[in-house]
Amino acid sequence: MPLNIDFVQILLHMLNFVILAGGLTLLLYKPVCKFLDERQNHFDALARENEEKARENEALKAEYEEKLANAEQESAALKQKAETEAAETARSALDSAREKASAIIAAAEKEAEERKEHIMESAQTEIGELVVEAAQKLVNETATPERSIALYDEFIRELEAGKGPTAKRNGKKS
Amino acid sequence: MKEKKKNRMPAGMRRFLYVWIALIALLVAAILFLGLSPGHSESIKEVMKDGVLHNENRVRVFGLTVNPALISAWVVSGILLIGAAIIRFAALPHFRQTPGRLQGAVEKLVEFFRDMARGNSPHRTDFVAAYIFSAGVYVFFSTLFELFGLQVVSTKGVSVALPAPIADINAAIAMGFLSYGIILAAGIKNNGLKGALGVLKDFSLPISMSFRLFGALLSGLLVTELVYYYVTLSFVLPVVVGIMFTLLHALIQTYVLTTLVSVFYGEAVEPKGKKKKENQE
Repeated sequence: MPLNIDFVQILLHMLNFVILAGGLTLLLYKPVCKFLDERQNHFDALARENEEKARENEALKAEYEEKLANAEQESAALKQKAETEAAETARSALDSAREKASAIIAAAEKEAEERKEHIMESAQTEIGELVVEAAQKLVNETATPERSIALYDEFIRELEAGKGPTAKRNGKKS
Repeated sequence: MKEKKKNRMPAGMRRFLYVWIALIALLVAAILFLGLSPGHSESIKEVMKDGVLHNENRVRVFGLTVNPALISAWVVSGILLIGAAIIRFAALPHFRQTPGRLQGAVEKLVEFFRDMARGNSPHRTDFVAAYIFSAGVYVFFSTLFELFGLQVVSTKGVSVALPAPIADINAAIAMGFLSYGIILAAGIKNNGLKGALGVLKDFSLPISMSFRLFGALLSGLLVTELVYYYVTLSFVLPVVVGIMFTLLHALIQTYVLTTLVSVFYGEAVEPKGKKKKENQE
């Protein structure tokens, strides 16, 4: 053969390499691959676990935040409720006070009115009485016989003169 | 500045330097005086020719007369298997989540080939990953094996240094055709006749793979042979040449072979049905 090619030796080399390849694969390649894969899986699992934990933490955080927001809202609602209640109580107290005051005022006004009317009434009767008394007094004082006669005379004279007694009286009065 | 430095250098150190340089000069002079005929049993031409053809220096083992590269291959395989067994049973049970040095190196090695297989062959990754892991480890360590220069006695009674296995054309052909056979088998298994045809159209692949390995390793071997043959070249140069042609070749050929195998394997096992459907649509 050219170049000293020898088929037996080629086959011997092949046999040698096949044995070596099988041995290396079994002894070194497969176990190391297995080890590498196991480690890879281990770290993958760790990474997955971490991710899960992170997600859980995120969820917890969101929950807490929601709770916090709810609590804030609740407290705000409570506060508002309390405020409105306080305002209502104050208003109602004010209202009742006002009502009372107005009732008192109304009662007072009414009483005052009544009293006034009463006073007026009593004053009117008194005045009337006074007037009657005064008139009586006047009548009593002035109604002497001479004077009555004079009055009568004058009255007749006036009648005779053609003057109505009423006209004279009117003119006197105005 | 220089004078200051000289003055600062201790007297003992200076004496040591003088003696050292004088000794080196004396030895070189003696070697040159005695002549550079180390009594090679072979001429450089014979050495080079034998490096390529392995006609002369052959080894008898188990009743077979074989090239020294086969012995190298066996030794490398034995060492690798023992090493793998030691790592498997001594180190692997103590592997931890945070790797130490050995664990880191082993993990990196496995991950490198596994990622390469995943990147180049997304379908049916497991088998090709294991294959290129083994092939990569074998090519890399068998190329580095050359550096140890283990000796065996040839049929002619001369001691020869064990070469890198793949520097022998038989080993290179074995690797190339075995890889091609695996790709072909995977194509047939996954895509039937179509897969087989798809792989067969790259019929030059096994030859190119074999001869790439062979040529790359052989060039290194020839250059190192050349360098080692002459005593005058054997002072500092072998360090550079050894690293250039052994370490770099080991890395590059490992990378090239494994990449090629995974790429062609990925193409062979890629499901063909989907593409057609997509085209029809």
